[in-house]
Amino acid sequence: MSTTAPPREVAGAAAAAGTARRRRRSGPVGAPAIWFAVPAMAIYAFIVLYPSLAGAFYAFTDWTGIGSFKWVGLENFKSLFSDEQSLGALRNTILLTVFIVIVQNAVGLALAIGVHTRIKSRYVLRTIFFAPAVLSSIVIAFLWKYMFNPQPDAGINALLGFFGLDFLQQNWLGDPSVALWAIGLTVVWQFAGYSMVIFLAALQGIPKELEEAAAIDGAGRYARFRHIVLPLIAPAMTINLTLSTIGGLKLFDQVFAITGGGPGYSTETLSTLIYKQAFVFGQYGYSTAVALVLAILVSALALVQMRYLQSREVTY
Amino acid sequence: MLGRRYRPQTFGLELLMIGVGLLFLYPIYVLVNLSFKNPQEISEASLSLPSTLETSNYSQAWSGASLGAAMVNSTIITALSLVALIAVGSFASYYLARAKSRLSYGMYILFLLGIILPFQLALVPLYKVMKDTGLLGSYASMILFYTGLQMPFTIFLYTGFLRALPREYGEAALVDGATHLQSFTRITFPLLRPITGTVIILNAVFVWNDFVTPLVYLGGTPNETIPVVVYQFVGQYVSNWGYIFAAVVLASLPILVVFLLLQRYVIKGFASGLKG
Amino acid sequence: MSTSGGRRPARSGGWGARGMRHAARALLVVALAAVVAACGSGTQQNSGGGGDSSGGKTTLALKHISGTDQTALAPLISAFEKQNPNIKINASFAPTDDLQTSLRAQLGGGNAPDIFVVWPGNGSAMAVQQLAPTGVLADLSDQGWVKQVPQNLKPLLGDKGKTYLWSPGMTPIGAIYNKKVFKEAGVDKLPTSWPELLAAADKIKAAGKIPFAVGNQTPWVTQLIPYAIAPSTAFTQDPNLAQDMLDGKKTFSNSGWRTVYERYLELEKKGYFNPSPNGTTFEQQQAMVAQGKAAMAVQVSAVAPPITDAAKNSKDIGLFPFPANDAGTDLKIPAGLGAGYGVSANSKHPAEAKKFIAFLAQPENAATYAKENIQLPLTGGDNADINPLLTPFVPFVKSGKTVPFMDQQWPNPKVQPAHFAGVQELAAGDTDINGLLKKLDDAYQQK
Repeated sequence: MSTTAPPREVAGAAAAAGTARRRRRSGPVGAPAIWFAVPAMAIYAFIVLYPSLAGAFYAFTDWTGIGSFKWVGLENFKSLFSDEQSLGALRNTILLTVFIVIVQNAVGLALAIGVHTRIKSRYVLRTIFFAPAVLSSIVIAFLWKYMFNPQPDAGINALLGFFGLDFLQQNWLGDPSVALWAIGLTVVWQFAGYSMVIFLAALQGIPKELEEAAAIDGAGRYARFRHIVLPLIAPAMTINLTLSTIGGLKLFDQVFAITGGGPGYSTETLSTLIYKQAFVFGQYGYSTAVALVLAILVSALALVQMRYLQSREVTY
Repeated sequence: MLGRRYRPQTFGLELLMIGVGLLFLYPIYVLVNLSFKNPQEISEASLSLPSTLETSNYSQAWSGASLGAAMVNSTIITALSLVALIAVGSFASYYLARAKSRLSYGMYILFLLGIILPFQLALVPLYKVMKDTGLLGSYASMILFYTGLQMPFTIFLYTGFLRALPREYGEAALVDGATHLQSFTRITFPLLRPITGTVIILNAVFVWNDFVTPLVYLGGTPNETIPVVVYQFVGQYVSNWGYIFAAVVLASLPILVVFLLLQRYVIKGFASGLKG
Repeated sequence: MSTSGGRRPARSGGWGARGMRHAARALLVVALAAVVAACGSGTQQNSGGGGDSSGGKTTLALKHISGTDQTALAPLISAFEKQNPNIKINASFAPTDDLQTSLRAQLGGGNAPDIFVVWPGNGSAMAVQQLAPTGVLADLSDQGWVKQVPQNLKPLLGDKGKTYLWSPGMTPIGAIYNKKVFKEAGVDKLPTSWPELLAAADKIKAAGKIPFAVGNQTPWVTQLIPYAIAPSTAFTQDPNLAQDMLDGKKTFSNSGWRTVYERYLELEKKGYFNPSPNGTTFEQQQAMVAQGKAAMAVQVSAVAPPITDAAKNSKDIGLFPFPANDAGTDLKIPAGLGAGYGVSANSKHPAEAKKFIAFLAQPENAATYAKENIQLPLTGGDNADINPLLTPFVPFVKSGKTVPFMDQQWPNPKVQPAHFAGVQELAAGDTDINGLLKKLDDAYQQK
């Protein structure tokens, strides 16, 4: 469908009927009506906002998840801040998130640039890079646990040995100083293609003429990347950085399925703590309090990050 | 990369990317490899190909889990959720991206809150609401759920890209007297094709693989989705990983096909839309 | 660049006639989508919650754990439905963790299935002694099969004298072993005491094989060796240990539990474990024994069949009681009641639900179920047909030389996870026995 025809025809039809309309709207065009957003807000409020608010109420109770409960005010929040397990979990959560945000997006961007070229295998490659995101976390967890075999003649260690990289062999999931990064590696593998897809959508929106013009003017590849591509894919950068930050802070499935928080507590994150409190310890009220604190933390961080990133976007 | 010609450096890049592709493919190779092995060979954990193709894994996975019926359920729920998300979400994003007012910004933040809020908060209250409205066990409960749940993410994607979209095209129509509705549906929305394709594939993957909520809402009914039936093969002590992997491979194929097809559509649509 | 309508407030948004038309169109689209969705809802079934009666047929909703329980239950459901044409059972199965999450959500939402999985004793969020006080379980004390349950086990099936669940049977923990590895290492006789066990392990190690495959990376595996050692040590010193701890007379630090971990570390320090036990998963542990790289794996009986399937020669795999006893003293084994079935207190069809449980509890059915699940049946009667793997364990049950899984007698759900993490830390050398015992006590004391 061509996009050039409509304006003129619509204009023609409107002109006859709408000179009065045109005059009422002085200046450039008005903004769309709020009705555009009402259906979305309605469904969202019904499914997410109202139940979350109702659920948040339990943070001020001692509900176990079943049966009756008592109001306890801020008790849960007080215990949270004096609990040393929470501090360890917070540390792990932040470390893991930083790793994921940096590595996943760097790899995703590199992949996107690599497949946004003339190479013949680009469609197949895009599917290959995206394929891990299609698998569910439980399956991925099992696959990687399989490959993270600590024996030197199995899994990844065997591959490293084959390439003569014996010194890189690890007790991947049993060594507390390695386990968290092993989880990070799994997540990057799973979602680099996801980031790639979003970057790709932005790369496809950059008119080729811009880059060609710059090349003709003598700009090298790096200069073209830094001054044309990077600014124009800023929205994708914002989206990817924001999503991976939020996703990293909330990460649950992979951590729980791969290590369950172990060995010991070395890979315990805030999300696994929240889950265990609610469904393993039967302390739903306390768990909700922790969840609320996490949500506030994430919101604050995400908001700041987003405002910064959006101020760097080129908008029209 | 510039230029329409396939040059030597392009070939070098091709080799590099294929190498990276193989690295990425390795775990998936393990998955598919294991799906064709019997329990002894799975236990041996060797990287070699299976000595005999255990296709019974696939037939057992298909019949034992009633995978066919589950695929139909998953497809219906995913497709309808996507339609709702795109229709409702893109419209909302148009408002949020174009109307620069306190109200629209406030609404935008309110939507973003949804990406941040943990799943546990709403779990029990929403379940109660679904029970009270009698929707439990039906497709409608899941479609409503996913539309609401993924709305923030969808709006986040659309709004982000709408902001960067040149307004001139849409505004030209508006100045000529078109309504916002017409301008959006005929001009702006088609220009969003790359992002719509992205919205489709990312949301589809989430809905397709979601496990806990369908287990709670649809468990025990004929409307169970794929993850619910596949994980029945996972036991505490005994799991037949051959069946599970075969089921996973089968379940992943539709989504991968959709992804492959979307690629060409997205690019084709965009390229033709911008000309002139 | 300044935004359109930036200088004009709300007016430019079009709240007039045109706005109404937009709204109408938008709402129509959404309404249509909703109608299509609702119509296309396939068969409207009442999921998870209480079943319904339509046309004289009662439907029961049942949720239980996947795995062998599922394969054991399926034929029994068919048989029951044949006997009772007016009752249909909609069964749903899932792995333990996810099942627990979904069931607690349903219980919290007041919409539990008619029949669902309940664990015996205490010590976990879905244990009968945690659930019963909240009133979500129906009282089964008046059911006929309750009389068939051995007296010493009855308390674990309920709370405060009442019975709330039926369990298919007892699962012992033993040493799954590879007969070929034993033979090649020169171990001709199965060890029956701690010194004999150490001697056998020495021979195996000398033959270049791993005596014990330990899969501590999977949290629940960590508890198995302590559970296997405790009955012959801590619970022989004090047969009433569980109750003494509940009464506050003994604690982890002040009891035979110390001996348990001393023996655990003895095994590790002598090099009888595989390298990196904390990095080895449950599946890798099984593979080691199946492939003959390791001689033994201390595991629950239910794990023997998958190892047998994975072995090159299925006859190579066997099961024997783990001897943690000093020479000359009695060997006691850990044998815990398996996950069972309870009835929802809010069920709309309690009679039918109880009928199904009574059906399961019948001796032939209970025996069939337990055989599939590698358990010793609870209500299987005296002549029950037992899975041959369990033959070595029958004498222990008959003579009462068993101890229930210890977590089933711990007062809250926090102790067991602390145990998992603590054993991992102990095995890695990140904590010592005192540290571990203290952590366990701390968790035990919490509400």
